[in-house]
Amino acid sequence: MLQTAQRTAKSKTKKAPSASSHKTAADKAAPPHDRFLEAFRWMLLTRTLEEKLVSLYRGGLITGGVYIGKGQEAVSVASGLLLEKGDIFAPLIRDQAGRSAFGEPLLDVTRTYLGSRLGPMRGRDGNIHRGHPRNNELAMISHLGAMISVTVGTLMAKRSKGEKNFVGLACIGEGGMQTGSFHEGMNLAAIEQVPLVVVATNNHYAYSTPNDREFACHNLVDRAIGYGFEGYSLDGTDLAACLDVIGSAVKRARAGRPPQLVVASVLRLSGHGEHDDASYVPEEVKRQPFARDCLKVAEQTIVDFNLVDAETLDKWRKDAIAQVEEAIAAAQQEPAPEGDKEDWCALSNRGLADQPESPE
Amino acid sequence: MPQVPIIMPQLGESIAEATIVDIKVKPGDEVVDDQEIIDVETNKAVMGVTTPCKGKIDKIAVQLKETYPVGAVLGYVEASEADAARFAKQAPPPPQREIAEEIPTRADQDVAPARERRIAARDGEGARVGDLPVPAITKGATFMSPRVRARMAELQLTAADLAGIMGTGAGNRVTIKDLENFLHKIETQTAHEASAIRAGVADAMRRSWTRPLSTIGSSVSLDPVLQDRQSRDPKPGPGLYALRALAVALSKNPGAAAKLIGNRVVQSKSIDVGIAVEAEDGIMVPVIRGADKTSLADLATKYKELVELARQRRISPDMQAGGIATVSNFGTFGMQWGTPIPLPDQTLLLGLGVGKKVPSWNEEKKEFVPRTEAQITLSFDHRSIDGGGAGRLLKRVIELLENPNEL
Amino acid sequence: MSITYLEAIREAQAKLLRDDGRVFIYGQDVGGTFGGAFKATKGLAKEFPGRVLNTPISEDAIVGTAIGAAMQGMRPIVEMQFADFSSIALNQILNQAGTHYWRTNVPIPITVRLPSGGTKGSGPFHSQSMESIYAHYPGLIVMTPATVEDAYTMLIEAVAIDDPVIYCEHKYLYYHLKADKLPEKGLLTGRARIAREGRDLTIVSYSAMMQESLAAAEELAREGFEIEVVDLRTVKPLDTDTVLASVARTGRLLSVGESFPWGGATAEVIARVTSQGFHLLDAAPQRLNAKDTPIPYHPNLWSAHRPNAKNIATKARALLRE
Repeated sequence: MLQTAQRTAKSKTKKAPSASSHKTAADKAAPPHDRFLEAFRWMLLTRTLEEKLVSLYRGGLITGGVYIGKGQEAVSVASGLLLEKGDIFAPLIRDQAGRSAFGEPLLDVTRTYLGSRLGPMRGRDGNIHRGHPRNNELAMISHLGAMISVTVGTLMAKRSKGEKNFVGLACIGEGGMQTGSFHEGMNLAAIEQVPLVVVATNNHYAYSTPNDREFACHNLVDRAIGYGFEGYSLDGTDLAACLDVIGSAVKRARAGRPPQLVVASVLRLSGHGEHDDASYVPEEVKRQPFARDCLKVAEQTIVDFNLVDAETLDKWRKDAIAQVEEAIAAAQQEPAPEGDKEDWCALSNRGLADQPESPE
Repeated sequence: MPQVPIIMPQLGESIAEATIVDIKVKPGDEVVDDQEIIDVETNKAVMGVTTPCKGKIDKIAVQLKETYPVGAVLGYVEASEADAARFAKQAPPPPQREIAEEIPTRADQDVAPARERRIAARDGEGARVGDLPVPAITKGATFMSPRVRARMAELQLTAADLAGIMGTGAGNRVTIKDLENFLHKIETQTAHEASAIRAGVADAMRRSWTRPLSTIGSSVSLDPVLQDRQSRDPKPGPGLYALRALAVALSKNPGAAAKLIGNRVVQSKSIDVGIAVEAEDGIMVPVIRGADKTSLADLATKYKELVELARQRRISPDMQAGGIATVSNFGTFGMQWGTPIPLPDQTLLLGLGVGKKVPSWNEEKKEFVPRTEAQITLSFDHRSIDGGGAGRLLKRVIELLENPNEL
Repeated sequence: MSITYLEAIREAQAKLLRDDGRVFIYGQDVGGTFGGAFKATKGLAKEFPGRVLNTPISEDAIVGTAIGAAMQGMRPIVEMQFADFSSIALNQILNQAGTHYWRTNVPIPITVRLPSGGTKGSGPFHSQSMESIYAHYPGLIVMTPATVEDAYTMLIEAVAIDDPVIYCEHKYLYYHLKADKLPEKGLLTGRARIAREGRDLTIVSYSAMMQESLAAAEELAREGFEIEVVDLRTVKPLDTDTVLASVARTGRLLSVGESFPWGGATAEVIARVTSQGFHLLDAAPQRLNAKDTPIPYHPNLWSAHRPNAKNIATKARALLRE
């Protein structure tokens, strides 16, 4: 039955502890989160992969745009890593870390970027428009905000099929949060009371547009109350905080609370795409706390707490490089799609395909 | 008593007017229903205009030999109330505004003669195909829809085959229905397959006819030729003399046989003249290359060879191509004169009729003397040459024929 | 007993809800006792609790949600309150649903019902016919039923098809068209229907213009012309073969549609007949659409704006004279 769930509790917003969740060297405790190191490795792999993609792009080996998530790996890895089998994941542009942690093979990435016809989209779509809907990883379209309601629909369907204890997690940026379709999707999610977590990263620039031309409210997380969501703020430079807050939101959604909105703050450390040099970002912004590189912060935490030794760290780096190079080499040897071998049919039902030209 | 108008009827698609050729009644005559009282002529036929109802002719408003538009009032019948009422219900629509406005009305007449006026519909300004006016050149059977053309291609028909169809489409064009009706009618008549030669000749004549052709003629005395040939062996026939004469005349005046292609006048380098030779199943027209350089004796020999080849059906298309003129001696069939059609790739055809003994006025002796005379005609493509040029050429040919020692 | 076009749509939805647990209906005002702005779902929320759900005025999210649910195996029917409002959902329909199978190999079996076309006084935003816009984009099937029987069988077909279907139901036909009973089966999807046989001219049309075209054919029959009228039934896929076969019989083509003139179904019919059946034409093919302005409110202006039996007959008459 597709019943709307009973609202079990009024939604409330709760401010997560801010940047001070960052533990200091004085607190000698266990790793800040039990999945900290696992998450770190995914971040390292992602950074290595994306740096390699950038150099391939600059070498003219990639057609079309390249979009990386440099600086946002902590938020993203937490979004993907903490989901379980049966959960729905709707990543967006800067979510390579989440995709990999969710289970997307590296080969999917390199195949798509390097134009192998064996990639998940078979050349029909490119760069970050990738997904495996049957594996619960939705393939985004370019219109930001559109994936929210689609995620809502998947969750409604799962509920009506009698499934339990599942969540859906959709990623978006502060830019995408301003679209009408985002608004409609959020509202509908709360009306339908689906177990949805929306992880919104305010990376302070939508392409070249800074926050003061994007929204006027004091704090984006304040919108959660307006939608009927529970809302949390998050320091996106802090991996432990990301794992904590996002993990907690996922737990709450799974437990049947209203939909959850997490708004993370971290600076985009790349251009909008690799064709953009982001020269519009003023130097003083780059000196802000939210401009810290989450990977460096996490590495520092490892070093400070001696979570692993330098040798292991080095090995991890080398492993990442090896994995990336293997995935690139494999994809480079594969054939490209050919126009005259395509079936050029957009319907699953071949018999209902329209024939504008006479069959020749 | 009410008056019922007599209206010029719609006499056919796109007919806009008709001319009065006969008025059979006068005011005061008693008439019955549907009685033919006026004859009118269109560009297609003569038809009768009938009374709208019975009654008495009250007025005839038209004149003989004048032209009036469709819908014009030709006169009035005085009729009973009942008849007038009945007729009013069936009254035809008033004439088209455009036509009516073209005609100046005169105070003492209902209508004015329209003959001086160019009526829109007849001159292609009224008829439309697909909301575009039908220009004069596409009127009639020359506009063919894709469907008509496809059907014609299927049946291997040409526009010439459709000449017998009166089109009912816009601008009198032939519609597919007209074509199918026509073909259906043919089915009811006896037919057999045309031979290849028949089809070939038909195609050649059709192509030739796309040009404006004309013929001029005169008479020629054959006595000099008849005398000259006595001293030769073999004896060339008059046709060969004509060929030689034409070749010699053209050698001094090759422009007379030039072809107009586009806006270029194309002249042949060689005086190649064809001669009609009868074969078993048709006429062949082999070409004598350099006929001006071929003596009569050689012509005679060649001709004999060609007759033999024709009998064996060994005159190839190559042998018949490339000529600039042809000679046809239809006098051998007993014909006096004709308007033969030049071959499609040539512009001249010289036709020689049968020689007859006729009295001819001799100015010196001031009496009629017998002479063997034949009619000689020259058909020509009027795009390339005019009557004057053709006339001069023919005159020279006649001169040469009447002075065969110059040949 | 007689059944209206609207009742046929309701019956079809009832049957679908009854026979297939994956089906649910999603849209504004469809639920509760209200049963939809046009009563197309009256009584269904009660008979099938939890499966006929009211939504907020969020066409984009309504369709997006339906797409997500379809991705997970359900068969949603989205009711747009008016076709005109589907423009808000254009992105989800064209770019999400229309591209999904081609990009990911996963089809999206949603059905979007669009109450289409004008009625007297409905004005510019409650009268539109949008089949041409949806047919233009790849990945969608566009249905335009013209009869009570087709309204029934084609809606059932639409939900069974794995690909997204835009189902354009005509508001004028809702209560004006009646039939004696509902059929068990209909013609195959994608097959056009010869609604009236003829030999002098072919009218190709669909939806409410079928009624007007048939009336025009009757008028011309009194003048001695037999007009063949072809009902496309689906605008995409468009049954080119049936149209060509009809033009092969008649040689003349008039394509009639209620949508705006630039491009669209009538232009598509003519493009296909001229490029694939040029040799069949005895006269230039013609089309008749609404005028190239927004749809007027005042009944006088509204009826002058769109094709009707009278102006269809006039256009056909001119074409017959060519």
